[in-house]
Amino acid sequence: MSTPTLTDADLVERYAPLTVDKDTADFYRGWAERELRIRHCTECGHTWLPFRPICPRCWSFAVDHVVVQGDGTVHLMMLLHQGPPAPGVDYTTGPYPVATVEFADHPGVRLTATIVDARPEDLVVGRAVSLTWFERNGMPHPAFRPTEVTR
Amino acid sequence: MSTRNPLKDQIAIAGIGSTGFSRSSDVSGLELLVRASVEAIRDAGLTAADIDGVVVPGEPGGVNPGVLATALGLPRVTHFARPVPVAMFSMLDAVHAVHSGACDAALVAFPYLRLPWNSRSAANDPFRRHLAHGVQAVPESIAMAPAYAAWASRYLAEYGVDRDGFGLVAVNMRSNAARNPLAAITTPLTLDDYYAARMIREPLGMLDMDLPVDGADAFVVTRAVDAPDVGRPQVVVHAITTGLVTPNDEDQVPCLDRHSQHIVLDTLRAKSDFWIDDADVVCLYDGFTVITAGWIENLGWAPPGGTADFLREHWVAAEDRVLVGGRVQINPHGGSLSEGATRGSGHVREAVVQLRGEAEGRQTPDARTALVCTGGFFFNSQGLTLRRA
Repeated sequence: MSTPTLTDADLVERYAPLTVDKDTADFYRGWAERELRIRHCTECGHTWLPFRPICPRCWSFAVDHVVVQGDGTVHLMMLLHQGPPAPGVDYTTGPYPVATVEFADHPGVRLTATIVDARPEDLVVGRAVSLTWFERNGMPHPAFRPTEVTR
Repeated sequence: MSTRNPLKDQIAIAGIGSTGFSRSSDVSGLELLVRASVEAIRDAGLTAADIDGVVVPGEPGGVNPGVLATALGLPRVTHFARPVPVAMFSMLDAVHAVHSGACDAALVAFPYLRLPWNSRSAANDPFRRHLAHGVQAVPESIAMAPAYAAWASRYLAEYGVDRDGFGLVAVNMRSNAARNPLAAITTPLTLDDYYAARMIREPLGMLDMDLPVDGADAFVVTRAVDAPDVGRPQVVVHAITTGLVTPNDEDQVPCLDRHSQHIVLDTLRAKSDFWIDDADVVCLYDGFTVITAGWIENLGWAPPGGTADFLREHWVAAEDRVLVGGRVQINPHGGSLSEGATRGSGHVREAVVQLRGEAEGRQTPDARTALVCTGGFFFNSQGLTLRRA
């Protein structure tokens, strides 16, 4: 799904209250296209999050992005019994799961996002998960769902 | 790593003042601040004309140093700063300013106000409404407080332990607070109470989190040679540091074995002539219980994941609290969990009170050395060693 007509102002407005600025615009443009991008150094190959304008390893400013495949492992896991308001989030119907996931193809690079389609026993550190997307305010947001376990 | 420490034992915490803490104050943040400040300046044996440095951390609801200087009528200030919150950034600024000659006597004043989202009464107070505007969080944000729940999950999973260690930290602080007249909450707490408390960000609940309060702490920092003799032992800064690991974004920090507490402890140890086994007073930050577990383990008191076993081994059942080696209290004042959420200034104050021998009812006998570790895992880890001169 491509949204070529999305202006910078649209991007900022539609992803509010997230902080969309010069450094992070490319990250959120990826979201709009259901593409999870991480920063990549074209000189030394280092990858990292969150988006920043310099490679912390070699100080190159020649940074672009690579798209992660999205399989990973739950590194940190919290169940929010209360928290910030957001459309579609109702803490009274049960705790809202938020995980920090470390990507299998980029060890050490992690994204914090919600978990969907999970049974309670899936909401644990170490669970294998895969990238998926959901919409909030009409805009795609990344999420993770438990990876099907081969039986 | 710099192991230089030219200010060792040169700088005194010459005065302290505190309003005490409550969840029901109806005076302004500025009034709390000036009350603590006047007490600290008088405690040091100084007057307004002597104070030429003013440091006030940028706490929500706080005031600029200029406002405090004007309110107190300080005639001539040559150093002022507004460091980010958490105690040691401001203490370090004042200590460095005095040591460098930027000023001779620095007032460091810490204001604490319950914020509109901390409690219903605070939310209903129209005079606090302006404090509500800040960065708006989303559920998926790990920044700031949620990070400790997230890393607590990692702690429990990686070490295969239950929440007992966190719970014993909470019980210890409550039992200690009962001996501190400044404390906001002193009702006894059991481990059952801890487990029964409402979950907030699972795996952490209400009693894993510090207690929002109104109040203020203040300190006066001078050179040891300049501090007036007011007939009590002087307390001097032995070493002080902050520490920052990289990356320090809450979800990118390397691991439980490598975060900012490790940087602080490596550095502080290298700058200090004594360490944990020779510390008479130990104050460890407890904004969240998991932070205290981190300090206990990273100081080497317990192996990774071993906080619960360590606390049980040193638990004094009759007093429902820990006395390490039968003697050393952890946060004798009750910490941020029970005295009140002072972002560590309470920990520094308590260390000074203990080293002076003025901690009635909770005094560690013949306390000569103190180790204070404040802040968490990411971008506010800090350490301080103090000596009775």
